[in-house]
Amino acid sequence: MNKLFSVFFILILLGHCQIGFGQKNAPPIRIAAASDLKYALDSIVAVYQKQHAATIQPIYGSSGKLYEQILNGAPFDIYLSADIRYPEELSEKGHTASEVYPYGVGRLVLWSKRINTGERGMQALKDPAVKKIAIANPRHAPYGQRAKETLIHYGLFEGLEKRLVFGENISQAAQFVTTGAADMGIIALSLALSPAMQRYTSSYYLIPEDSHIPLIQGGIITKYGAGKNPVNLFFEFLKSETAVAILQAYGFTNP
Amino acid sequence: MLETAPFYLTVKLAFLTTIILFVLGVPLGYWLAFSRFRVKFMVEALVSLPLVLPPTVLGFYLLLAFSPENALGKFLDTYFDLRLVFTFPGLVVASVIYSLPFMVQPLKSGFTSIPKAWLDAAYTMGKSRRVTLRKVLLPNMKNAMLTGAVLTFAHTVGEFGVILMVGGNIPNETRVISVAIYNEVEAMNYGVANTYSLILVGFSFLVLMVTYFINHQKNSLLTYD
Amino acid sequence: MIDLQLKKRLTGAGGDIFLQIDCQMQSGEIVGIYGPSGAGKSSILRMLAGLMVPDQGFIQVGEEVWLDTSKGINLRPQHRNIGMVFQEYSLFPNMTVLQNLEFAMEKGADRKLTKEMLEIIGMRELADQRPQLLSGGQKQRVALARAMLRQPKLLLLDEPLSALDREMRKNLQQYILQFHRDFHLSTLLVSHDAAEITRMSERLWVLENGSFVYDGEPNLYFT
Repeated sequence: MNKLFSVFFILILLGHCQIGFGQKNAPPIRIAAASDLKYALDSIVAVYQKQHAATIQPIYGSSGKLYEQILNGAPFDIYLSADIRYPEELSEKGHTASEVYPYGVGRLVLWSKRINTGERGMQALKDPAVKKIAIANPRHAPYGQRAKETLIHYGLFEGLEKRLVFGENISQAAQFVTTGAADMGIIALSLALSPAMQRYTSSYYLIPEDSHIPLIQGGIITKYGAGKNPVNLFFEFLKSETAVAILQAYGFTNP
Repeated sequence: MLETAPFYLTVKLAFLTTIILFVLGVPLGYWLAFSRFRVKFMVEALVSLPLVLPPTVLGFYLLLAFSPENALGKFLDTYFDLRLVFTFPGLVVASVIYSLPFMVQPLKSGFTSIPKAWLDAAYTMGKSRRVTLRKVLLPNMKNAMLTGAVLTFAHTVGEFGVILMVGGNIPNETRVISVAIYNEVEAMNYGVANTYSLILVGFSFLVLMVTYFINHQKNSLLTYD
Repeated sequence: MIDLQLKKRLTGAGGDIFLQIDCQMQSGEIVGIYGPSGAGKSSILRMLAGLMVPDQGFIQVGEEVWLDTSKGINLRPQHRNIGMVFQEYSLFPNMTVLQNLEFAMEKGADRKLTKEMLEIIGMRELADQRPQLLSGGQKQRVALARAMLRQPKLLLLDEPLSALDREMRKNLQQYILQFHRDFHLSTLLVSHDAAEITRMSERLWVLENGSFVYDGEPNLYFT
């Protein structure tokens, strides 16, 4: 029995060293980012880390949930939301340490592994082969809200409501379609352009902007990230040409 | 990308939870086994509550309770500089509550399985309850203690809902294995998710095998037959 | 002298029994308690030991008052100097024979006593065995020795031989009698075996319907 305890204590000590190791230089910069930024932000971070000594940890999730977490004291330095209304509310509540920076406009696409949505457009949703349609959860994911608006706009919502499956965030919605759990999905353009999804198909249907409220995305430095120079530096980098170019490559248009 | 931190976090969390629950579980299990308080049934129900509650319910209430926006969280933050949301200590607290019945129930069963005559004999020999607990009860319920420890450990390793709600998904802090797997699946890194999962399955299987092996051994540490 | 007054309502399978006892025994006497199953014999011993509390009662052993419900006095078993042997063996399986005996001793007491006791009961070679490997008779010998080690004021034997076969029974009876000759402990022996209780006790109490209906010579009762 005693031997077992000793082994475990050693393991835990090692664990402490391991975890401490990565943060030897400086505390990490934590970015709460909307899931649609997964590939774009990863690229931006990679570029930044080549030029600067900094540890950046993006944490992806649905914008609504991240908003709640920040209100409840989550240790995030920067918040990048797929819906600018969330950072604006945080600003009103005094949880921000910077102005709200609109970094892009998101777009919705219709995507399917097997059905060619690029050619058929929204009508593809009516295909009898489409039994499950994935969207992000409209309650707290901006892409989900917009997806629902689009469906309503095209008069498709009522007929298709029963076939909808909700992802926790836009990433999970995309995951539903890539695994085939859902036959089709309304997901983010930025994800459709990512290598992870391009490997299945490069076809998608870009849903017209006028079918939903625009998805203006915005970011802020949170109260938690206030007064930290590395955080300020990175936030400024987001506004740089390099970063903007990467965002555009992933389909985020200028706001 | 495969990180090693989730493994250490998971093991650390499970180990800490098990130890803390053992220290708490022995007196609680003892009381439930031997007390004749009329409100005992209420305490038993409370202890068993985490068995029937969905993890998200527990996570939700813990999040509310510990949020620095609310009374308790604010108190802890101001006077102890302690945050229990989105931190590892918060995970420990949540796990202790969530895995409580997995330690207390086996211990209680262990206590009640000891023949009363042994306790009577010890008392008539002038031994206090505490000495009797240490020298007569616990040494004869090693099976129960091992069951409690293994169940608690395994249950903590497998936790997801509570941890995600209370801990968030903070790398090197609260991103335990179960959350890391979820994270990778969401990011569509199925290969990494698979690696994490296989390792977890292998580890859990190993732990269980060792436990049952020890259990089945005669002339082992566990029994005196 | 031991003064014993107990009143307790016992709930049993056949209905309730109202136990009502009022008697005395001399120091050093070996008294048998006889009666049908479920009459309450074990309960009397348990109340003497402090393992059960009567509804009303008074127990005085020598100069010490162990129980006085009218005054709220109730010594815990740990503070009554008694030795008890149960029908079901109560040796601890996680300890050897020697350790079981040593468990009875106080801290700092003379360890030699345990070794001597081992000799007396003829178990020296089995000192390091676990109880599980002993025969019934051997186990009860150890249980008896363990109960006696603290030189208790009162020795309570609750059907200690009922689970043994005839041979072992006779053997153990000899040990109990020998112990009594040597140590003169006040002893209460519960048994439902008429021959055994006649052989072993100097005095007999018969319990029926909650009270003692006989108090006297064992021989005279059974003829």
